[in-house]
Amino acid sequence: MDMSKKCIRKLGIKSMKASKGRNIIAIIAIMLTAILFTTFFTILFSINASVEDANFRQIGTYSHGEFKALSQEQYDKIKDDPHIKEYGLRIIVGTSTEDPFNKEPVEISYCDRNQAKWMYLNPIEGSLPTEGTNEAATDTRVLELLGIKPEVGVEFTVPFVVDGINTSETFTLCGWWEYNEAAAVSHILVSHGYTEEIFAKLNTQGIDGITGKWNMGVMLDSSLHISSDMYSILANHGYEYGNGAPDNSISVGVNWGYTGAQLASSFDLSTALAIVVLLLLIFLTGFLIIYNVFQISVTGDIRLYGLLKTIGTSEKQIRYIIRIQAILLSLAGIPLGLLCGWVVGVRLTPAIIQQLNGIQASTISASPFIFIGAALVSLVTVFISCSKPGKTAAQVSPVEAVRYTEVTTSAKKLRDTHSGTSIPQMALANLGRNRSRTIITFISLSLAVVLLNLTFTFTSGFDMDKYLNTVVSDYVVADDSYFDIPAREWQPMEEQFIAQINQQNGVVDGGKIYGLTENNALDFVTVEYYRKGLSDTSSASAVNIWLQNCDKLNGLIGRETHLLGFDDFGLSKLTVLEGDLTKLNDSDKRYIAAVYRADDYGNPMMDTHWAKVGDTITIRHVEHWQYYDWFSGQPIANGAGNNAGYKKAAIYRDVEYEVAALVIVPHALGYRYYGPDPWVLSSEAFIEDTNTSSVMLYAFDTTDEANDEIGTLLKNQKEYGYESKTDLAESFYSLRDMFTALGGVLCVIIGFVGMLNFLNAILTGIFARKREFAVLQAIGMTGYQLKAMLVWEGLFQTLGSLLFSTVLCLITAPILKVALEAMFWFFSYKFSLTPVIIALPGFAILGTVLPLAAYHIVARKSIVDRLRER
Amino acid sequence: MSILQTSNLKKTYGSGDAAVHALDGVSFSVDKGEFVAIVGTSGSGKSTLLHMLGGLDRPTSGDVEVDGQKLFSLKDDELTVFRRRKIGFVFQNYNLVPSLNVYENIVLPIQLDGNTPDAEYINSIVETLGLGSKLKNLASNLSGGQQQRVAIARALSTKPAIILADEPTGNLDSKTSMDVLKLLKMTSEKYSQTIVIITHDEQLAQMADRIVRIEDGRIVSQ
Repeated sequence: MDMSKKCIRKLGIKSMKASKGRNIIAIIAIMLTAILFTTFFTILFSINASVEDANFRQIGTYSHGEFKALSQEQYDKIKDDPHIKEYGLRIIVGTSTEDPFNKEPVEISYCDRNQAKWMYLNPIEGSLPTEGTNEAATDTRVLELLGIKPEVGVEFTVPFVVDGINTSETFTLCGWWEYNEAAAVSHILVSHGYTEEIFAKLNTQGIDGITGKWNMGVMLDSSLHISSDMYSILANHGYEYGNGAPDNSISVGVNWGYTGAQLASSFDLSTALAIVVLLLLIFLTGFLIIYNVFQISVTGDIRLYGLLKTIGTSEKQIRYIIRIQAILLSLAGIPLGLLCGWVVGVRLTPAIIQQLNGIQASTISASPFIFIGAALVSLVTVFISCSKPGKTAAQVSPVEAVRYTEVTTSAKKLRDTHSGTSIPQMALANLGRNRSRTIITFISLSLAVVLLNLTFTFTSGFDMDKYLNTVVSDYVVADDSYFDIPAREWQPMEEQFIAQINQQNGVVDGGKIYGLTENNALDFVTVEYYRKGLSDTSSASAVNIWLQNCDKLNGLIGRETHLLGFDDFGLSKLTVLEGDLTKLNDSDKRYIAAVYRADDYGNPMMDTHWAKVGDTITIRHVEHWQYYDWFSGQPIANGAGNNAGYKKAAIYRDVEYEVAALVIVPHALGYRYYGPDPWVLSSEAFIEDTNTSSVMLYAFDTTDEANDEIGTLLKNQKEYGYESKTDLAESFYSLRDMFTALGGVLCVIIGFVGMLNFLNAILTGIFARKREFAVLQAIGMTGYQLKAMLVWEGLFQTLGSLLFSTVLCLITAPILKVALEAMFWFFSYKFSLTPVIIALPGFAILGTVLPLAAYHIVARKSIVDRLRER
Repeated sequence: MSILQTSNLKKTYGSGDAAVHALDGVSFSVDKGEFVAIVGTSGSGKSTLLHMLGGLDRPTSGDVEVDGQKLFSLKDDELTVFRRRKIGFVFQNYNLVPSLNVYENIVLPIQLDGNTPDAEYINSIVETLGLGSKLKNLASNLSGGQQQRVAIARALSTKPAIILADEPTGNLDSKTSMDVLKLLKMTSEKYSQTIVIITHDEQLAQMADRIVRIEDGRIVSQ
């Protein structure tokens, strides 16, 4: 059998060598398929790697997991476990939360080289601390906050807390790294010996269970089953998982950033569906061209296959010949495609990752799986594509093969015509001779047009007005935390900065929005409403306990609520659903507006609040809370710590308001998280009633000319974050550009495939009919007529597929409209045939020029020569 | 001893009024080592008969037995394997693989079967047919007579039970035709090879041991 395989292989290679032009087209076809797959996988893997990297930075380490709070003995026992590939050590000394580190704390610790690397604490300048010195390395933010120039050898003093004891040390700077913003914590690293010194000096170590304990970060063999590996490491050494008895239980932290653990959660159905659809589209594109190339190649070699069958080549052996050719062509095409595809993917990835929330930097993946995966699916595509041609070759009848020219599959036996034939009619009939080839060409040309149309519709439908609809002012300035996702506790703005903004030229109008930094307001709702609001998240029994222990008023239940104070600028931005907002500024009587929420499309959701216009409601403004123990019901000192108990208002004022209006507050001006149904007061009423005046944000409008100057002012300060209309517009454009780039690349490649298919169909159609043309010319068809017939054939295909795709676009338009507008709230569907009109001249030229060029090659031989050819 | 036998072989194309009987009950046999010529005018059914004898086409009824094996009780793939082991073909238009050289063409059927050619035997065929100096030439570079000699060598290479030659000289001038026929006759004697040729050339047919005449799908004399 070995001999016969070798012989078959030789046959495959030799017969392939005989047709160089065809091989080049086949290699290009395979290459294009591989490019599409590789690009797709590169983007997919890079997004994944970027998400992973962003997660790791947020978590603060990329070690697989950590054994926490070990004694040195435990550490020594575990560290050589065969499951552990690498380990890193960290000993926490203390924390500093005092000014200037009150916003984001600094941890002082020892880390060995591995741990420092995994925690992104690798000095970009200088080095890690040397043993036996008071050296310390830290990040750029710490240096900046301390006002220290980043220079090796500079001394700096930091006060910090060790096991509850306040202390302070002066360090010598030995290195620094870029602050890792995502982690929201800074580090100062000292040497191991130095930690011992500090503990000895303070005579304390490990009272709080963390300080002075050893944390061991580990890298395992694989990230796929981190937690089970870590548990079995503990079990191997007789430890238990947990933090019960300190002697033999060890607590374990698993890094959730590894996609192995988190793939399932981030992988929703629509993402999976989109991936499958894209893969299928790429497969179809590849199939169309590769199938076509192989079918044509088999048709060309059909006599050879017939002959081989006559002398005893089995069907299996003939299919093997085709497969050998497919493999050889793939060997050339796929590596080229992998390379080009990766380059294209690398170019496209940053544009896409920019659009993903919360990911600052894009990580380009060069994972071998990209290439293995892309190569495999490309190969599968090639094999599937050449299986039908292989069958055609294998099943050719030896008797027929000798006479074989081309399969003419026509159910029609007669041509019922009395008027003779015209050239266009002949052209049309010719297209019917090889229906499958015509259909393949048709589909692949149409696919390109449909895709072009889709990309165009998609990107031109992005509606900037809708997108910016949520933006009510040119700028919104607030504490950084206010803009965080998810939102965090914010600090009130300083009046001084607002004044500074207002001094700028070009600020036209502006308004402050006041908010409560602590939940010191209660409103009162019915028991049913209270239960309804909690039914999704809490059990009935829990709600019962809360109901017993909360503030009540006339049988209504007190609930923490939010209050917003708006001045006239802010009030003018609210959408009034019902009632009269101007009453809010009435100085004789207290009025309030109830805030309803709206969905992404701006439609009010009327079940998001209970108040109606004209209702009189009570707000309890709390000055002081009294805390009670959950179990005994006895008053306790304060609400700090874990067993805070419940609280009731101790010192408060109840104020009655009449609901003047129902409003929607734009997202940009409200509390940016879903909390209890808020209320809006006028600024004056807010300040007077709550006895606070915390400015949550300042919103203002500017003239267009002033934008640059104000942008610079806001960029150059660190205190506040801001949103601007221009920045939002830019992010809108970059989102649109991303889709344009992606769709564009896909269109170009699929368009190219369509063109190749067409070229292939035209060329083989003309070459196969060389003799027939000679006969036609011999019986009196002029060259001009022949050329006209070929051009008609070309035009029927290109313009026909254009027409076909137009009809397809028209049919799918209503579905697209619904689907796209549901997917993007800022999408306005506009039907357009612009892409078809753009494609029209190109297709017309294609349909004319290619057939003429192909004919030109054929016509070089004289009619007599062609007639003699077998 | 008969090596080829047909019994009441029929081949009908179409049906009803339009039915054409290409073969209408052909029964004859060929003995081992015999050199038989089947003669008939065009449309007489001789090519159809040859296709049947070679298992290239299936009859409407009747069967062909080669070397004791009933051909049409075999499945397609089995028939293919039987063909490459037991039947050699020589065609009017040679049907060599143009991209292979002379030697490769000759040993192709052996290699397709997964066997190593018997060098001595192949050498002997090559010398007998005067192809010794052309072994490395590509098949497409040979003259018609040379190509046909390669085809004969290919047919002989597997030591088939029978060689079927369909108008082997149809594309050759009369002198070359005679040479090729002489070669066929000689190899038939030298290797006691059974050969059946189809021709419409009476003069060439005279060189055969026996002539079978076929007309309108029936054997008229043998």
